Amino acid sequence: MMRNVFILAFNDLAFAFKNKTFLLVLFIPLFVFVTLNFVDETGEDTSKVRIGLLAQETLTPEVSESINAAETYIELTRLTSSEEGVRLLQERELDGVITSSEDASGSLVLLVLKRDSIQTLAIMQTFAALQKTAQGAAPDWISGIDSLHQGGIQRETLPTWVLMLVLLIGFVILPAQVAEEKEKKLLLGLLQTPINEVQWLLAKLILGMTLILTAVLFLHLLGKFGLVHLFDYMALLLAGSFCFSAFGIFLGFLCRTQASARTLGVIFYLPHLLPSAMSDVSEKFTAVAPLLPSYQLYKPLQSILLESASLADMTFDWIYLIVLGSMMCLFSYVLMKKRWLM
Amino acid sequence: MQLVVQNLAKLYDDKRGLAPTSFKVDKGELIAIVGHNGAGKSTLLKMLASWIVPDDGTVMVDGIDLKNRMALAGKVGFIPEDPNLFEFFSVEYNLKLFARLSRTPMSRVEKILDEFKLLAFRRSKVQTLSKGLKQRVNIGRALLADPALLILDEPTSGLDFEMTREIYLLLQSMHAAGKTIIFTSHRPEEIKSLATRIMVLHKSKLIFDGAPHEYFQSDIHDELYSL
Repeated sequence: MMRNVFILAFNDLAFAFKNKTFLLVLFIPLFVFVTLNFVDETGEDTSKVRIGLLAQETLTPEVSESINAAETYIELTRLTSSEEGVRLLQERELDGVITSSEDASGSLVLLVLKRDSIQTLAIMQTFAALQKTAQGAAPDWISGIDSLHQGGIQRETLPTWVLMLVLLIGFVILPAQVAEEKEKKLLLGLLQTPINEVQWLLAKLILGMTLILTAVLFLHLLGKFGLVHLFDYMALLLAGSFCFSAFGIFLGFLCRTQASARTLGVIFYLPHLLPSAMSDVSEKFTAVAPLLPSYQLYKPLQSILLESASLADMTFDWIYLIVLGSMMCLFSYVLMKKRWLM
Repeated sequence: MQLVVQNLAKLYDDKRGLAPTSFKVDKGELIAIVGHNGAGKSTLLKMLASWIVPDDGTVMVDGIDLKNRMALAGKVGFIPEDPNLFEFFSVEYNLKLFARLSRTPMSRVEKILDEFKLLAFRRSKVQTLSKGLKQRVNIGRALLADPALLILDEPTSGLDFEMTREIYLLLQSMHAAGKTIIFTSHRPEEIKSLATRIMVLHKSKLIFDGAPHEYFQSDIHDELYSL
């Protein structure tokens, strides 16, 4: 009996090797290892907090001297205007902007991107330590924290959930469906009728975009997330769903079977999701994420949903998404014409 | 309908496929292509059906290059060895889908369901049908647009004797209706009385092209199929 069990188990392993499931098994731990290195690595530069200070701002002598003396811990940038401070915060070039409080107490107000972030915590800890050294027990230098991101923790996570849905449908569901149509010769059957390749591609794009928009709408309904800048949000979602649907269709064309398509899909899914979604908690991810197409969707999503920005300020991002999607459509068309792996 | 094939070739990495091959098919012929597995039969038919892009050569259907797929859609019907139907959907759905895409009137679907004795299965999901029934649906679907040339890749593969006979009767009736038919078979004896012409492929090359009686009188059959 055990002999048969071993024979079957060996056959299953061989099957998993053949349909590339093993690649997935090896890829995921490798990916986690690389990710952990990105998050945990702490060097001299990463421990510095990056503070912006308006050029015309006058601080109390204790605060000013303490900040200047703590150059190992604080990287100070002089700002010409508060708008510049907001822009640098949004671009993750600064961790916080310090301004004097409007009351006459001489205390400071800290402006950050997210109230509940490790950057905010680092600034607060640094300032508390400086204050203790300079004055001992005294009222806090920083008396208030303002945040660019509006809404609570649930809303803060919304861009990540939306990105996850878009990438899940784009990289996991669509490639498997395209590969299934190839594997079962359904696509070739359809091409016996007077439809052309472009019509088939457009139908698949509509499918992908409909699935994405339905999933996002359902997420909003369940989470009772109110909509801000509806037009900008919808336009960005359309551009993003077009881009990642086209990407998914292309991945499907690279595979002969559904199993391969699922493996390839996950291999693309994780590296696109995590660096973008974790760019707020890791400086290295902040550096890597902009290189990924997913970040060109994630960043504008954050800006629209949390910072009430408009799409007009993100021309590069949505043009990038549309151009990339169009290129993927073109590649898919070429592979389809060649009857690639059909 | 006239089919002219010139130097059509497709070679795979393992050297199998089809060496440059030329032939001509006239209207109303019923051609059986025979040969062992891997002889190049399916490769030839798939190229004629535009399923595979040839390495070289041309195929003209009524003077129209096969590369002009849109102009030939509806003129050439291909039935693969394994039925490529949407398994989760019903027989009727499959036929109607292809009728809509081919801009064929829905009355044609009813006619096909009736002619192919599929009325009782119209609402059955394809995945619940036997292979013989699936093949009937597959042939019916290919005939929706009433193509002048019908290409069948091993239409009786995996079918029992009764079902095989049924398919051959179907081919005969389509031939009698004036269609040009090309099909492949492993079993020359079975198509003796069916085909008007036999082509033999062996090791990717066309080694015989003639009438059935010539084929069975020649040594080729014995050489290929003798034990």
